[in-house]
Amino acid sequence: MFTESTLVFIALSAIFAYSFYAVLVAGQLSLGQAGFASLAAFTGAALAPSPNDVGDLPALLIAIFIGMTVGALAAVILGLPTMRLRGVFLAIATLAFAEAVRILIINMDWTGGAQGMSVPKILEPWMAWVLLALVAYWFWRQGPSRYGRALEAIREDELAARAMGIDVGTHRLSAFIAAGAIAGLYGVLWAFYVRLIAPEDFGFAQAIDGLVTAVVGGSTAFVGPLLGSVFLTMVPEVQRAIGIEAGWIRPFLASLLLLLVILFLPGGLASLLPRRVARLVSGSDSEQAELESRLAQRVHPTEGQTVVNLQGLGKDYGGVHANRDIDLHITGGEVIGLIGPNGAGKTTLVNMISGLTRSTSGTAEVLGLDPGKVAVHKVAAAGVSRTFQHSKLFARLSALENVMVGGHLVSKPTFLRRLFWLPSARRDERRLAVHAASCLERVGLGDKAGNRASALSYGDQRRLEIARALASDPSLLILDEPAAGMNHVEADALSDLIGSLSTDGLTILLIEHNVGMVMKTCSRIVVLNFGEVIATGTPEEIANNPAVVEAYLGSAESEEAS
Amino acid sequence: MQQLLNGLFTGSIYALFAIGFTLVFGVLDRLNLAHPAVFAVSAFVGIELVEVAGLSIWYTLPIVFVVGGLLGIIIERVAFRPLKNRPDAHFAGLISSIALAGMFIALLQWRYGPNTRRFPADSFPSTTFTVFGAQVTLLQVAILVISVALMVALTLLVAKSRLGRGMRAIAENPTAARVLGINVDRVTMTTFAISSALGAVAGALFAMNVNSAQLGMGTAIELKGLAVIIVGGMGSLPGALVGGLLLGLAEVFAVANIGSSWRDMVAFGLLFLILLVRPQGLFGARKVREV
Amino acid sequence: MRTNLFKLTAAAGVLALALTACGSDDGGDDTDGALAGEGSGDDCVIDGEVAIGAALSLTGAAASYGESQKNGLELAAEQLNEKEGVTYALTVEDDQTDPRQAISVFEGFAGDGTSLIIGPTLSNTAFQAQPIAQEEGVPVLAISNTAAGITEQGDYIFRNSLTEAQVIPQTVAKSIETYGLENVVVMYSNDDAFTESGYEVMASSLEESDVTVADTLTFSKADTDFRALLTEAKNLNPDAIFVSGLIEAAIPLVTQARELGIDVPIIGGNGFNNPQLMADAGEAAEGVVVGAAWNSASDNAENTAFLADYEEKFGGQPDQFAAQAFAALHIVDHAVREDCSADRDAIKAGLGNITDLPTVLGSISINADRDAEHDAVVQVVKDGAFTVLP
Repeated sequence: MFTESTLVFIALSAIFAYSFYAVLVAGQLSLGQAGFASLAAFTGAALAPSPNDVGDLPALLIAIFIGMTVGALAAVILGLPTMRLRGVFLAIATLAFAEAVRILIINMDWTGGAQGMSVPKILEPWMAWVLLALVAYWFWRQGPSRYGRALEAIREDELAARAMGIDVGTHRLSAFIAAGAIAGLYGVLWAFYVRLIAPEDFGFAQAIDGLVTAVVGGSTAFVGPLLGSVFLTMVPEVQRAIGIEAGWIRPFLASLLLLLVILFLPGGLASLLPRRVARLVSGSDSEQAELESRLAQRVHPTEGQTVVNLQGLGKDYGGVHANRDIDLHITGGEVIGLIGPNGAGKTTLVNMISGLTRSTSGTAEVLGLDPGKVAVHKVAAAGVSRTFQHSKLFARLSALENVMVGGHLVSKPTFLRRLFWLPSARRDERRLAVHAASCLERVGLGDKAGNRASALSYGDQRRLEIARALASDPSLLILDEPAAGMNHVEADALSDLIGSLSTDGLTILLIEHNVGMVMKTCSRIVVLNFGEVIATGTPEEIANNPAVVEAYLGSAESEEAS
Repeated sequence: MQQLLNGLFTGSIYALFAIGFTLVFGVLDRLNLAHPAVFAVSAFVGIELVEVAGLSIWYTLPIVFVVGGLLGIIIERVAFRPLKNRPDAHFAGLISSIALAGMFIALLQWRYGPNTRRFPADSFPSTTFTVFGAQVTLLQVAILVISVALMVALTLLVAKSRLGRGMRAIAENPTAARVLGINVDRVTMTTFAISSALGAVAGALFAMNVNSAQLGMGTAIELKGLAVIIVGGMGSLPGALVGGLLLGLAEVFAVANIGSSWRDMVAFGLLFLILLVRPQGLFGARKVREV
Repeated sequence: MRTNLFKLTAAAGVLALALTACGSDDGGDDTDGALAGEGSGDDCVIDGEVAIGAALSLTGAAASYGESQKNGLELAAEQLNEKEGVTYALTVEDDQTDPRQAISVFEGFAGDGTSLIIGPTLSNTAFQAQPIAQEEGVPVLAISNTAAGITEQGDYIFRNSLTEAQVIPQTVAKSIETYGLENVVVMYSNDDAFTESGYEVMASSLEESDVTVADTLTFSKADTDFRALLTEAKNLNPDAIFVSGLIEAAIPLVTQARELGIDVPIIGGNGFNNPQLMADAGEAAEGVVVGAAWNSASDNAENTAFLADYEEKFGGQPDQFAAQAFAALHIVDHAVREDCSADRDAIKAGLGNITDLPTVLGSISINADRDAEHDAVVQVVKDGAFTVLP
């Protein structure tokens, strides 16, 4: 059963599956890898020197270098125009690219067209497995690094990732390029093993095969592609060995098996292995102290300094005025409450401030830049951090990991250093984990750090969002209905937390329906109705403002009762 | 002129095939890659009905429609419903539908063997017309008429009927639809059934058009179908119609003027062009509310 | 936990490598003993079974050809096993039209003592898999690989399928002569190695003649609607249309051509040599010229018997794939009986000596390049059957 070719093909299809894994980790369904492999295979085979001249291994290495470069370049060419595409659109566009490459190669002379190009067989099993080990090593080191976490965050919730300061575009493109290079490696290795390469070796069926291998193996653990490859490569071998008749029944059983794996193993085969979870570390006192001084400290705006300045800001959705003519000035250290009935435009306003939505009129200045003119992650980098009205946690990551992603901006990149096992990377990871743990402690979730975010209760999830938002050491913290689902005790605790954050120098903008809490916590309140500001002032002023009472608060009697 | 008509007829079949894809994607946000397998199955079943049961080709169409509908229900129940609430439902559904397609094709090989099958001789009316100097068979006209009629019927269904309203509600917001009392599971099942039924008729018509059914016929048209729905706009029914016709015409144009070996590139050229210039497609208008 | 996983994976890898080392050692070592027999020719008696392995495409894109080949082989094995003296154990394996499977199947056969391998179905796969047999010293008889360079892979590689270069030039010459051609259109599928190589020979033969090629149109092997291309061709007013395509394309192409009013001769290659052409294209197939390796209308004794037996066993007419497969096993039988040994090298020698052997393909010889030589045929469809073009 384990003939030479079985071993080689397990390794090769694992490498190909890794090229899918590279983008699946970031949640992108790209199917163009077959095209990258094809281009790399033909170019590498054509341009590499003959093994008779330079020896087997050098020729292969040169071909690999050429192939990986071609693959990476092809990935850039495909990646840039498809940058805006998501989900199924991306899948179809990339699949079409792979097909287009196939047709291109068929029509060219130098590739031999449909009759293919002959290539000397150089590859031996040990070479394939060494290269596979290198690829697997790459992803093993990537997972628990800042870069790996950022990719997973993008997969779980792209918008939240942006809001945490992650440059999604660059990350997606880099994942694409990795996929291209690895697919290129696969293409070259394939070429130098099978003796003849033809465009049909990299067609639609193979493209799907690679995806299937990656998904069956599982995209949440770095061993996924290897497991998927072993499983799928062995299916026909096993069928032959146990004597299943050659013919229609084999593909039928193979498809059935695939269906069963997908239906009953949601995370693929890798889900059978326990997932590594970032370990909670409780820092020693000295580490905590070191933390305070070493962690990139942001300089917060002082009292009186402008944090947010909006003038005449408006958002018009083709006739529907979500916000109209908003003037708002927030200075350092203030705790501003934003209240109003549902549909008043509170979230839209906050979206404009944090850069998620572009305004259609007026001007805005937040921490020195115009949020409508820069990318969301740059707004985050300036010091804005927020929570969302509907929790946008990174569901499959643990609570600690969620907060570590929140700390993206204040931590150092660790991936490259992890590749070389540099101890400084381990220290930086640990620092980040300690910092994240302390954020969790602050919101009272210290004991739940290892839990999956999606497994937490609703209230805990809301608190996790806050912890995550705190991790970037923001200057402006925007909280969108953080007390939703909290009882009195929890809401009070939250109120105290907000107070202590304000004392630390944070400026806080709070949207809330829990009016009592708002009155207690905020230094100033802004009331919105129908997209406009109808009142601003201290809590006492607002409570007695007739327009506000009528629009939102209700009469004085009912207010006391609540 | 002949080329124009060639393009129109081919295009109408692309369109009918694509409509099934786009219906499921538009309403349920799922890409059903078992659709091409239904296309192939119905072609073989249609041929068997004519051969064995001696039916006229026109009577096979309603039966094939029903068979397609049943297959659609199977696909929904087996490949998509169990995956409903998973975070990676998109990818998983893609793979499970691919697996189911593999099973369908293997079963086809079991029943019909690997060879191409054809309708018995004399299945088709041999009437030909001459339209502005071009040869057109009655069969081709019938195919065009049936395709367009089905597409119009579907558009009316979606726009005016209660089922259609349910579909549109689910397309907007499945949770809200459920809360409002729409039986989401039933509508989902029906959507799949209709989509597959249309794909099945497309398969039977295609087999009639070229008088052959092969195991691989679904894969051959699959990519073109995907290109059509992107060009026309994902989830847009008129888009699928226009996209299909456009592709058919563009292909014959390419053959006539550029060179036949690049004909298949036309689909992809159009696809990339649309993605760069107008990613929502000619008729698409999907806006995603993010926060 | 992470380190444990790493160690586990490494251990598994080492184990797998060790298993390979074991796997490739055993098998293939039985050189004599049960494989050698006594006598020669019809008197030859070999005690053990002669293991013949066939690697064919039974599923996947080339499934229809693989199935025909399997039928031909099975019929031949059945008949040969009725003869006294030598018993053949035929194992047919499926490569699923996938090079990885083909390579694996070849390795399996090479490792388990198979005396000879037949196949694979497609030429491209042949270049990928046959070298394994060459390296392990297992003779291969290719039954459908028509590309140039197959037998050049090594001295263990033989074939009984004529190359394009042996069939097409005479088809082209005969057609030009018979129909007085001056101006033609050529069509072929450019994404299939077989049809593309067929086209290349067609094109060079036409170039050598005085005929002008008005245009060359390409299609995909999956295509079934040729109306756009045929309309183009029709507009050029050719005297004939040459087509290098597979049977799946041939039938709709011919049918649609006649529908569009194209009456000129259509001339095809090996891919057209299939009784389905007449069965499915009906009237439209009349007058189509097919240049091929196998003359299905041949009335030689072997062929007549083959047609009848195939019909009885499988309920349909055989095509060229079945015929070449059938003939192959008879050729192998002759080679085995010559030295009365199922030893790989003995069979290899025997194959090299095949001269004027009567088979369903005609009187066949294997030349010094290990290629087959027999008369090719130019046929025309007349009254629903292939007849030789006079």
